[in-house]
Amino acid sequence: MMLTFHGISKTFVSERGEVPAVRGVDLAVREGELFVLLGPSGCGKSTVLSLAAGLLSPSSGEIRLDGELVAAPGKKVFVSPRERNVAMVFQSYALYPHLDVFGNIAFPLRVAKGKEESITAEVARAASMLGIGELLRARPGDLSGGQRQRVAIARAIVRKPRLFLLDEPLSNLDAALRSATRAELKRLQRELAVTTLYVTHDQTEAMTLGDRVALMREGSVLQVGTPRELYETPRSPFAGSFIGPSPMNLLDAVVFEEEGHLHLRIGEERVALSPKKAGEVRRLATGRVRLGLRPERMRISGDPGPPALRGIVVSAEYLGRERLVSVETAAGILTVLTDEVAPNEGDVVGLALPIETACVFRPEEGE
Amino acid sequence: MRKDHDLRELLKGYAFLAPVCALLLAFVFVPVAGTLLDSVHRDVTFLPRRFIGLGNYRSMGSDPGFWQSLRFTGLFTLVSVPLELALGLAFALFLEHPSSARGFLRAGVLLPWAIPAAVSGRIFELIYNVQYGLANALVTGIGLSEGPVHWLGTSAGAFLALVAADAWKTTPFVAILLLAGLSAIPEDLYRQAEVDRAGPLQRFFRVTLPLLRPVFVVALLFRTIDSLRVFDLVFVLTGGGPGGSTTSLSMYGYRFFVGGDFGYGSAVSVVLFVLAFLFSLLYLRASRFGREIA
Amino acid sequence: MSEERRIRILYTVGAAAMTAFCLLPVAYMVLVAASRRPDIFSAGAEVRLTAGHFLDVLGTGSLHFPEYVVNGIAISGLSAILAVVLAAPAAYAVTRLDLPGRMSFLFLVLAVSMFPPVSLVSYLFRMMSALGWINTYAALVLPYTAWVLPLSLWILASHFSRIPRDLDRAALLDGCGRLAALRKVMVPVAAPGILSTAILAFIFAFNEFLFALLLTTGRNARTIPVGIALFEGLHGEIPWGMIMAAATLAVVPVVLLVLVFQRGIVAGLTRGAVRE
Repeated sequence: MMLTFHGISKTFVSERGEVPAVRGVDLAVREGELFVLLGPSGCGKSTVLSLAAGLLSPSSGEIRLDGELVAAPGKKVFVSPRERNVAMVFQSYALYPHLDVFGNIAFPLRVAKGKEESITAEVARAASMLGIGELLRARPGDLSGGQRQRVAIARAIVRKPRLFLLDEPLSNLDAALRSATRAELKRLQRELAVTTLYVTHDQTEAMTLGDRVALMREGSVLQVGTPRELYETPRSPFAGSFIGPSPMNLLDAVVFEEEGHLHLRIGEERVALSPKKAGEVRRLATGRVRLGLRPERMRISGDPGPPALRGIVVSAEYLGRERLVSVETAAGILTVLTDEVAPNEGDVVGLALPIETACVFRPEEGE
Repeated sequence: MRKDHDLRELLKGYAFLAPVCALLLAFVFVPVAGTLLDSVHRDVTFLPRRFIGLGNYRSMGSDPGFWQSLRFTGLFTLVSVPLELALGLAFALFLEHPSSARGFLRAGVLLPWAIPAAVSGRIFELIYNVQYGLANALVTGIGLSEGPVHWLGTSAGAFLALVAADAWKTTPFVAILLLAGLSAIPEDLYRQAEVDRAGPLQRFFRVTLPLLRPVFVVALLFRTIDSLRVFDLVFVLTGGGPGGSTTSLSMYGYRFFVGGDFGYGSAVSVVLFVLAFLFSLLYLRASRFGREIA
Repeated sequence: MSEERRIRILYTVGAAAMTAFCLLPVAYMVLVAASRRPDIFSAGAEVRLTAGHFLDVLGTGSLHFPEYVVNGIAISGLSAILAVVLAAPAAYAVTRLDLPGRMSFLFLVLAVSMFPPVSLVSYLFRMMSALGWINTYAALVLPYTAWVLPLSLWILASHFSRIPRDLDRAALLDGCGRLAALRKVMVPVAAPGILSTAILAFIFAFNEFLFALLLTTGRNARTIPVGIALFEGLHGEIPWGMIMAAATLAVVPVVLLVLVFQRGIVAGLTRGAVRE
C-alpha cells in the first residue's frame, strides 16, 4: 500500500463550535493507481487531500506513506509537507505570479538547492511532457487557464514525487477543454506511474479516470470500489443516486411471500422475484425495501409487459443524444433516460421496471 | 487532544510575533507604565523622589493652568474636527469624480499631510505675521479689516489661527479616508437610485451619506484622538500663548518635563492618555462594527 | 444648463479651489524663500528673486542644516526598514497561521498607535539617558520603529491577506518552511505593498517632532522638524527668508516621495485605517 489512512478524523474548531470534517476514514491507495475521492461539496474530500499532503494534521488516526508513519497524533508523529515528497495541484493552480513559467517549475528544485544545469534539464523535460516547452519565459498572468494548469502539473511532477494530489483540476476549465484534458491526465498518470489521489465532485470524471473510487459524504467514506462496482452495486441510495448519468429512481416496495416465492408489491403492481433477486431481498431481512432503478435502464413503451407502471409525461428534456423524461405515476415521479422514444408532455405512457438490475436497499438508509 | 506538533507550530508562530512584541513592550508599554508610575510620585529635579499617591492629581484639580489647557484642548477638538470632516468630505467628493487629473490632484492634496507639522507651523507663523504675513495681506486687501490683525497676539486670534493651520494640515488625511469609503460604494446603487428618479442631491443624502457612515465614524474618532494629543503645531505656531491660552494638554505636560517636574508632568500626560484611550476604545468598537457592515 | 453640466462645473471649481487651498501655503513658502525680503505684500514692495537664502542655509555651518537633513533621512530610513522587517513576519503569522489571540494582538497593536507621545516621552528620556543614547541615532530609531509598527503591521496584514492561501500552501509542498515561504513567495508577491508601507513609515518618522525635540540635543542626531522649529535669528529679527528656504529644502524628500508614490501612499493609508 502506498498511502493508508487508518481511522482518520479531523475536527475543526471555530467560533461556531466544532466542525467534524472527516470522521473515521479508512483508505488504502495502491502504488501507481489513480484513486478518486468523489463526493458533494462539504463531504470532506479536500480535507482528506490536505491531510495526505501534510497541510493539515489529523485529530486522530494514523497516516502512512510507503509504510512510513507520517501522521499519528496519538504517537506524537507528524512529518511536514516538505519532508513527505508529495506534490499537489491546486484547484486555483497557485502559480507564483512573480516568476515566469520556468521559475515556477524550477521552484521546488531550487528550494532543494539543486544544480542549475540539472535543473534546466529537468524543467525542460517536464515542460515538454506537458507540451508547454515554448512557454517557459511567459508569466502566469499571460497564460490561459489550460496552460496554467499544465504549468501547475509540470511543477508538481518535476521533482518526481511519490504521491500526486489533484484537487478538482478540471473544474476551472470550460466544458470543451474538460474531456480532452481528462484523457491527457489519464495518459500522463499512466506514463509516470505515480500514485495519484484525485478529488472531484463530478461523477463522470470519477468513473472515467479512476482505477478505484471512494464515495464520501459528510466526512465519511460510504463505499470504495472500481467504477463498475460503484455503478452496478451501490451500497446505499445515496451512492446509487450520486453515481450514474442521472440520479436513481427510488421506489418503496413491500416484500411478501406467495406460493413459496418472494414477491414485491410496488403500488398496485406485484412482481415475482427471481432467485437471485430474492436472495438479495432475503439478506436484508426486512419487510419493506427501497428499490433503486436507474433512469437509463427504464424503458418507455406503449404497452409494456409487467412489471410496469403507467403514468403521464410531465416533462421531456431534449439532451441531444437522449431524452430525460419525467413521468408521474402512482409511485411518484420517475425519470427515464432514453434514446428510443420521444414522448410529449401529457402523453400517457407505460414504464417497464427493470427489477432484475434494480438495487435493493433498506428503507431507513438515508438518501 | 494536544499534539506535540501543534505546540511546536504554535511556538514557531508566536516567534514571528515576538520581535514586534518586544519592541512595543520596551519602547511603548514600559514608558507608559513608567509614566504612570512617575505620576504618583513627587519627582522634581534636585529633590528626592517620593511616593505621594494621588497628590499630583489633587493639585491638578486646583490648577488653573491645567483646566485652561483642558478647556483649550476640548474646544480645539470640538471646533476643528467637524470642520475637517466637512471639508474632508467635500475634498473626497472632488477627488472621487473621475477626471484625468486625478493622480495629480491627489498628489497635491497629500502635500499638506506630508509636510512635517513643525514646518507647516512655521509657514503659518509667517502667514499670520502682523507686518507682512499673507493672512493680513488678504484680509486688508479684501477689505475685511482696516488695519492689520494681530492674529497671534490675542487668544481668539491664536485659536483661529491654530484651527486653520490644523485644518490645512489634516483635512487631506480625512479626505483620503472618506475617499476610500466613497470608492467602496457600489455604482449599482447610484444607478438604481437614478432609475428610481432621484436627483444628485437626493442620491447624495440617501445613498452616499448612509453608506459612508462607518468610515465617517472611523474618521471622526481618529481625528478626535489626534486633536486631543496635538502638540507640534501648537508648539511652533503659538508656543501655547498668548498667556497660555492655546496650550494643549500635551504641551502643558511637556512644560513640566522641561521644567524638571516629572511627577506632575506625568500626571498631566496620564490624564491625556486616559482621554485618548477612551476614544480609542470607541474607535476599536466602531471599526469592528464597520467591518461587519462591509 | 442641464443638471449634469452644472455638477461638472461645480466639481471643476471645487477641485480648483481645493488645489489652491492645499498648494497656497506651500507656494507662499517657496516664494518667500526665494525673495530678497519677506514683506512681499507690503505696499510698493517688488518681488526680487534670489537664491541667497538657500545658499545661506546650506552654507552656514553653525546652522547644521545639512546635518539635520542627513540625520532625518538616515533615522527615518533605518526606522522604516526595521519596521518593515519586523512587521512582515508578524503580519504573516497573523494572517496565515491560525494563532489563537491574533485578533486581540492586532487590536492591541492598533491601540498603541493612539497613545499620546507626551505620555511616553519623559520615561523614554530617562531610559535613553540611562543608556547614554541621548542625541544618538539609537535614541530615535528604536522608538520610531515602535511608533510606526502598528501602521506597518496593519497595512502589511491587509496586503498579505489578499494573497491566496493556496500560494503559500504550494510553497510548503514545494519544500519551503514557513520562513522560506514568507521570504520567497509572500514578500516578492506583496513587494509593492511592502514598498508603500516602508514609505509611509519613512514619512511618519521623518515628520515626528516631540521625541526628536526631547531626545536629541544637537547636530549629532537632531532632525529637520526640530531644526526648523527652533530656527531663530541671530540678530533679533526672525530671518523668514532663511527659514522658508530651510523649510523648502526640508520638505523636498517627502514631497518627492509623495509625488512618485502617491498611489501607493493613498492605498496604504486607507488600508491602515479602513479595515475591509
